Amino acid sequence: MSAHIDDGGERRPAAGILALSMPYQVVAAVTLAALAVLAALHLAMVFLHVAPSNTITKQHGQAVDDWIYPEFEQNWKLFAPNPLQQNVAVEVRAEVADPSGTRRTTGWIDLTAQDVEDVRGSVFPSHTEQNMLRRAIDWYGNAHDDEGRPKGFRGRLSEEYMRRIVLPRIEGPGARADVGGTVERIQLRRVARPVPAPHWSDEKRSTTPSTTVMPWWDITDADRSRTETSR
Amino acid sequence: MTAPSPAPAEAPARVPLDRRLARAAQTVTSRALGPYQTAIVRIGFSLTWLFFLLREYPHRHEMYGPDGPWSFELARRLIADNRAFTVLMWSDGRLWFEVVYALAVVAAALLLVGWHTRAVSVVFMVGALSLQNRSVFLGDGGDNVVHLVSIYLTLLRCGQVWSLDARRAARRVPRDAGGGKAARRVELAGPVLWIVLGGFLVAATWFSPVTGEWWMYVLLWVLWLAQGLWWLVEQYAPAEPRVLLDVIANLAHNAVLVVLMAEVCLIYATAGWYKIQGSRWQDGTALFFPLHLDYFTPWPSLSELLASSGIMVMLLSYGTVIVQVAFPFTLFNRKVKNVLLVAMMLEHAGIALLLGLPAFSMAMIAADAVFLPTVFLVWLGARVARGRDLLLRRRPAAAELPAQRPAGEPTGTAGAEDGGTGGEAGGEAAPRTLVG
Repeated sequence: MSAHIDDGGERRPAAGILALSMPYQVVAAVTLAALAVLAALHLAMVFLHVAPSNTITKQHGQAVDDWIYPEFEQNWKLFAPNPLQQNVAVEVRAEVADPSGTRRTTGWIDLTAQDVEDVRGSVFPSHTEQNMLRRAIDWYGNAHDDEGRPKGFRGRLSEEYMRRIVLPRIEGPGARADVGGTVERIQLRRVARPVPAPHWSDEKRSTTPSTTVMPWWDITDADRSRTETSR
Repeated sequence: MTAPSPAPAEAPARVPLDRRLARAAQTVTSRALGPYQTAIVRIGFSLTWLFFLLREYPHRHEMYGPDGPWSFELARRLIADNRAFTVLMWSDGRLWFEVVYALAVVAAALLLVGWHTRAVSVVFMVGALSLQNRSVFLGDGGDNVVHLVSIYLTLLRCGQVWSLDARRAARRVPRDAGGGKAARRVELAGPVLWIVLGGFLVAATWFSPVTGEWWMYVLLWVLWLAQGLWWLVEQYAPAEPRVLLDVIANLAHNAVLVVLMAEVCLIYATAGWYKIQGSRWQDGTALFFPLHLDYFTPWPSLSELLASSGIMVMLLSYGTVIVQVAFPFTLFNRKVKNVLLVAMMLEHAGIALLLGLPAFSMAMIAADAVFLPTVFLVWLGARVARGRDLLLRRRPAAAELPAQRPAGEPTGTAGAEDGGTGGEAGGEAAPRTLVG
């Protein structure tokens, strides 16, 4: 590579644009200019992507998005402007058909508690414990409006994703919390528990949990992880 | 573009930059700047991704497999909309998935030791993008950095030092003097790799309606054709055309190096400036809350201990914001920059343990490393090499070492270990060289 290049060789450079004859120098110069423009443009786009909404992004937001998405998407508002101040738990209850044919509804099962148990004492928590359910419920919230209606096809994708995360955890012998039977319907609820104010502060913070209950969903084969229909 | 690029060049030469345009053009065309910095970035990110893939190996089906919660069908519907690039959309077969995962692991290991770095870096990117884009709702900040840097790495000449490539190049010099038969045979690997990747590229192009934006295919084809052209020129036109190719490769490298450095600055600037606007960062209680989030407290008693002191929480919260906001500006002052770099790396090491985010922290430390001074990196490389020799009870190759330092790491496993200790040593040992 460039290991053989002698830094002191100023008079007759062995490398670089000064080592080239005229036509080659033109190619090199054009490349230099093109790459400089490309790099500057890319940085400008990334800057506009991470910057707050502003005059330029209001007028040319589409151009920025076209450049950035999907491969250069980024979000560095880690714990900003404020860190998350509540623990969000996903709980599920299921309507189960027993082999005998009777139907029953289970109590609420805390799925997030399963994750938390796995994260405890782990030097390298898996994304399946730390991110999957946490980010799924987050996305679900973003993909639904205040009345809980899905926003477009992403909203429906997020519902299907939730069902496929939940089901293997509660159905079948391998499930963490096997409900013992075939799940016919499930209902989720999202419980947000505010972190209490620090004991060394005199701040008053309500610690009352707020609960959002989602509608009952019918379970079909498409929601089952090890689906036989696709084989 | 010219403003940030002198930083790595400045380090070895210690000469104030001559601002004449011609001199600058000669600099950016004749050298791929920051050989040690880009090498440490390569090692850091490949090691991070390798650790991650090995750690998630038992969970790979649940995360990226065709029958996981984010099923092939769900991914297909989303990717039809966002056009992300993932070779996992080529087939919903389980075997194909295993092959891709295995290739991602192998590419990460090979990039770590710098075997045919240019080609392997592309495979590394394809592996990382394929897995991450397959299940976008699974990642965190760590995945995000790996995603971006894996793209940038394909255009960086990141194997100039501390790589098998560098060792091969160093060996080639004496060999060339005494007839190159043996050298020829060894270098068959390059052309074979090129042909295999060419077949892969044709397949990728065939599947381009399914996944990936057009520019991704342009990038892949340009990189592949450039490799072929490079080989041809080396064989048949080693004079000026070869120099021109070197110039173009250097230009691409230097441009992307600037982008990478600016990207790191943008990460810290965004993280810092948005925090300033938050009431919790203003009143100094911010850090208390992450320490009480169930998902980020693998060691609750440790988190509790840290959160029990209001003063400590306040100092750390303020310190975080100050360092993040200040960092881009400190690049104009070497000493302050190095102090802040150490502070950020230590903070990330703390985050790794305390918040249970080792992959994220490793990726961020690897990204920070692009700003490490060359003297420190050279010292670190020598120390790691010595440690390796001691470990393998090898006679230290004293005479060889100075000249061969670029050829640092000899074998696959030793390389992996070296990279690991290197990363840790960077955090703890840094102050001695940088400040003391």
